Amino acid sequence: MSLTQVRPSPPAAPRHSASGGKAKQWWYRFDTRTMPYFLIAPFFVLFAIFGLFPLIFNAVVSLRHWRIDEPDKTGWAGAENFTRLFSDGDFWNALLNTFGIFILSTVPQLLLALILANLLNHKLRATVFWRVAVLLPYVTPVAASTLLFAMFFQTDSGMANWFLSLVGFGEEEPLNWRAEKWSSWIAIATMVNWKWIGYNALLYLSAMQAIPRDVYEAAAVDGAGPQRQLWQITVPMIQPVVIFTVVLSTIGGLQLFNEPMLFDENPALASGGSDHQWQTIAQLIYRVGWRDLNLGYAAAMSWALFLIILVVAAINALLTRRLGGGK
Amino acid sequence: MERFGRRALRTAVAGVAATLLLASCSGEKLAGNDTSEGGAEQITLKVNFFGDMGQEMLKERFEKANPNIKITLNSAEYNVHHEDLQKKLVAGSGAPDVVAIDEGFMVQFKNQSDKFVNLLDQGLGSAESRYLPWKWKASMSSDGKQIGLGTDVGGLAMCYRTDLFKEAGLPTDREAVSALWPTWDKFIETGKTYTAATKKKFIDSGTNLFNPVLGQQPVGFYSEQEQLQMEGGPKVAFDVSMKAIDAGISANLVSFQPGWNQGFTGNKFAVLACPAWMLGHIQQTAPSTKGKWDIAAIPGGGGNWGGSWWSIPAQTKNAEAAAKFIDFATQPEQQIEVFKTVGNLPSQPALYKDQAVLDFKHEFMSNAPTGQIFAKTAESLQPQYLGKKNGKTREGVEAVITQVQQGKVKTTEAWPKAVAAAEKAANS
Repeated sequence: MSLTQVRPSPPAAPRHSASGGKAKQWWYRFDTRTMPYFLIAPFFVLFAIFGLFPLIFNAVVSLRHWRIDEPDKTGWAGAENFTRLFSDGDFWNALLNTFGIFILSTVPQLLLALILANLLNHKLRATVFWRVAVLLPYVTPVAASTLLFAMFFQTDSGMANWFLSLVGFGEEEPLNWRAEKWSSWIAIATMVNWKWIGYNALLYLSAMQAIPRDVYEAAAVDGAGPQRQLWQITVPMIQPVVIFTVVLSTIGGLQLFNEPMLFDENPALASGGSDHQWQTIAQLIYRVGWRDLNLGYAAAMSWALFLIILVVAAINALLTRRLGGGK
Repeated sequence: MERFGRRALRTAVAGVAATLLLASCSGEKLAGNDTSEGGAEQITLKVNFFGDMGQEMLKERFEKANPNIKITLNSAEYNVHHEDLQKKLVAGSGAPDVVAIDEGFMVQFKNQSDKFVNLLDQGLGSAESRYLPWKWKASMSSDGKQIGLGTDVGGLAMCYRTDLFKEAGLPTDREAVSALWPTWDKFIETGKTYTAATKKKFIDSGTNLFNPVLGQQPVGFYSEQEQLQMEGGPKVAFDVSMKAIDAGISANLVSFQPGWNQGFTGNKFAVLACPAWMLGHIQQTAPSTKGKWDIAAIPGGGGNWGGSWWSIPAQTKNAEAAAKFIDFATQPEQQIEVFKTVGNLPSQPALYKDQAVLDFKHEFMSNAPTGQIFAKTAESLQPQYLGKKNGKTREGVEAVITQVQQGKVKTTEAWPKAVAAAEKAANS
């Protein structure tokens, strides 16, 4: 804001250099009033091209018939693509899968991140090492880590089943992680958690370090144990960051694509399992758009997803605000 | 108000200026690309394929014969390969100069014959005499354009592991093994014997019984009127695969995927339905099993599964060179070489009587006379009409078979689900 404010204009220029003064004045006004818009414009231009335009174009497409494999079928569809969503079993199944995996990944993820950050906030040996170490999964490319996880969760030779067999599960018949909804959800949520816990922990840690020590000391004097300090001092005081991570992981969780995609035995199909056990909405959009080549319907799905994310992110932000807002 | 208007105007002007700046940058880059032309005209042909079509050998020989043409090869997964082609045909750009098309997708593409170069215009009409009549006809559009030159047909046989058969106390000799399974029922019985003796699974997957049995039926998923016909051939094939799964002889792997590839070396299965092109897959994925495979007759006799064409998308700027390539690739000398190195069975009947083919012994497959075995199957081939949505339909039914193998669906309840999946694909 302060940039756009006009400073008191310079004292009136002496008469004899009127023309030069005018140009100078013009330049001065241009510099203070117009220049800031130029400087900030690239962001908005890029946003308009890569954010706003696709959004609007998508909305237009979602109201039309557009099939790549049947070029003759064009024209306005009205709300047809959207009404079809309500009776489409695949869409509801994908919605269920998305929310299931979202809850299985977001809740443990943020809780564990909080606990991890709390631990890192204590005096430890080799602090820097631990802090860098928790960030490593975040740095690993999703494709690489997911392929490893796909092997980890293999039926016959996967390590997950080996661990289970150590505690006596599935020695006779090893668990087929891809067969059922619950097992595939757990597997995918594990990949998401593994990647994001460290990242969120570091965000929490940086917020925690801004909390003055004397608050804790006062609480300790009043007899608050570590548990109580965490929930009644730390969490409320880092609340803005908590809201930020909740909203971000909501958006990321509802758009989940890479992990479920590469978890499939034949990723090219984008089917999310033999019976779509773990097909997420993003995957379904990809499948309808680029495999069934039904762009209109895929666009309607994208818009539905967009609206769902808006609503869920808003609800989550509100809930989190309440949660931390004391009592 | 007035102030606000001016501010908005300034913002807009700034925006336009920035856009122009961006546009001019990218324009410069594009212009720089065009000016690299020197000396003799050098042509690069982009060739997209799937599986193994003997492409390395073709590239080497063709480049040697045509020093001004370079070949670049790109391979992709079967479904992705064909869907990618479809997208690029509609988009009007990005398609390769030469592309392989499998029979499962041929009907879909020949219905868009305007998107392909008519090979009759390239002087390749004379190639007709080389081909099995139905192979030539299968890639011809209804208005008489020829959009592809055939490469192979998928005559069927049954590959089996001699070492594992020996362990199970089964015969290992080709003739004796063929005599074990004149029918699919007998085949499943043999599987039970094997599994009982070794505690190992006999076949790789129910889907790899479904496909060859379907290939033996007179009518596949679709009639020539594009009507889905699930109660005919598909039902017969589905029942055979269910019976095998019930018998507990299937390793329940997903074919052409990593787990299946590991199954070759892990001895997870002892037989594999072998269209001729499968030999290439086996050599590629499990080179360490060399000499452990042999080839017997397929139960039920005859049948076709797969087989491809080389086509030229109309977007190409090098139609002439591309035509030269596919003509070269389908010449008898090259087809025989592909047959010897990869295993793909040519679709040219003269070659079935060619001495080089008949005398050939496939070293990898225990010196089986693949020429004689597959030439015999090819002569009795009954071509099947494959509908426009054949690829998607098969994928849907295969997914149901996978569900059965995962224990999610009982074999007795699977058929209605398969019909529903097929109908969904047909109407998608």
